[in-house]
Amino acid sequence: MSETILLAVGIYCLAGIVISLLFLVFGIARADHAAKGAGLVFRLTILPGLIFLWPIILGRWLSGRQINQDIHGGDNS
Amino acid sequence: MGHQYQAIQWNRNKAHYDIAIALFALLYTGIFVVIGLQPSETGNTPDPVVLLIRAFGTCAFLLLTFILMIGPLARLSDRFKPMLYNRRHFGVFTFLLAAVHFGLALMWYHGFGPLNPFVSLFVSNQPGGTFPGFPFEVLGLAAFVIMLLMAVTSHDFWLNNLSAPVWKALHMLVYVAYGLLVIHIAAGALLTEKSMLYPALVLVAFLLVAGLHLMTGLQERGHDRLRRALEDKGWVSVSAPQDIPDKRAIIVPLRDGERVAVFRDGNKVSAVTNVCRHQNGPLGEGRVVDGCITCPWHGWQYRMEDGVSPPPFTEKIATYNLKLMNGMIFLDPVANAPGAKVDPVFFDLTEYDESGDAEAV
Ligand code: FES
Repeated sequence: MSETILLAVGIYCLAGIVISLLFLVFGIARADHAAKGAGLVFRLTILPGLIFLWPIILGRWLSGRQINQDIHGGDNS
Repeated sequence: MGHQYQAIQWNRNKAHYDIAIALFALLYTGIFVVIGLQPSETGNTPDPVVLLIRAFGTCAFLLLTFILMIGPLARLSDRFKPMLYNRRHFGVFTFLLAAVHFGLALMWYHGFGPLNPFVSLFVSNQPGGTFPGFPFEVLGLAAFVIMLLMAVTSHDFWLNNLSAPVWKALHMLVYVAYGLLVIHIAAGALLTEKSMLYPALVLVAFLLVAGLHLMTGLQERGHDRLRRALEDKGWVSVSAPQDIPDKRAIIVPLRDGERVAVFRDGNKVSAVTNVCRHQNGPLGEGRVVDGCITCPWHGWQYRMEDGVSPPPFTEKIATYNLKLMNGMIFLDPVANAPGAKVDPVFFDLTEYDESGDAEAV
């Protein structure tokens, strides 16, 4: 029983890693304009959260909803 | 919001607090282990690893206690506000300490058996396990998972992308985690060494946190009631005293068309009618010179506290009553008789020194 749960958690996190990396490379700049052009360290900072909460972020990504549109990458106004 | 994301927001102030808290943790764990290594009267010294586990665990608990006290303290006095702006950093740091505690405990108590450490953790409270009796480790794990979720979502990215209500709800779980930890430590100490020291300390910490929350809650309710009573009587909220430029006024229009000039001179605030006795000049556009409100048109002067021109003159203007509550000035729209003395409202200027470092929390 406990082994099954552990396995499920492992698979969940593994899926999280894959989807998080894809999101960080391809999805994040469109989903949240404040992340456009933000550095690698920022991406690493939010990576652990993405791995645990990936279903939420995947939902956001697929919905195509965007936030912080008034901000453009590199322009710190 | 409104800026491109950065990995970690640091400024001078935050860096100082972060260094202070790291030094505290270092000192605390160091002293804890050194004291623990002294042989007791029974002659046996505890294992250094066990001491480290306890040092990191209790240190994280103490920091969490401190973090939970910041909110009510900042409501009691603006002096604690700067800590409020550092609360997220404190939280992540506390989580890191908890992670060391968790990792060490998992390896030490569950890493050497035939079972997977995580499985072993769940079954160890059954008879014959490492800690038969009460599943205090599972409570610790639950608290750890909450702290983990909070730490990994502490970046503004998560506040924006989870939406504020969801983020807030998630982070309110810290109170659940704290409750779990209180039981985790008390039960763990009772199970492993039958000592009352830890349970007593944990109880004191818990009472401190709960008491502070209760106190500010009651105080806020009192304030709210008073403010509502004032507003029912028609009092008008003006602004925070420190937002009035020094030696200047802000002009408050009243319902009946009357205008009131609320002046600040250093840490004193007084209110008079906006209309000069001479030719109806706008007093509120004047400034305070030598403690006297000075009309911008022809320089007639009135003392702030009673609206009377300084001798040898005898002109009088109407004064108004003010009250300072919750950092906000309220104005009684009913004018006093011209020349009526009203004690100015005093506020503590030093409390606002740090207000430059504002950040949404
Ligand atoms: S109107 Fe105020 S001094 Fe003349």
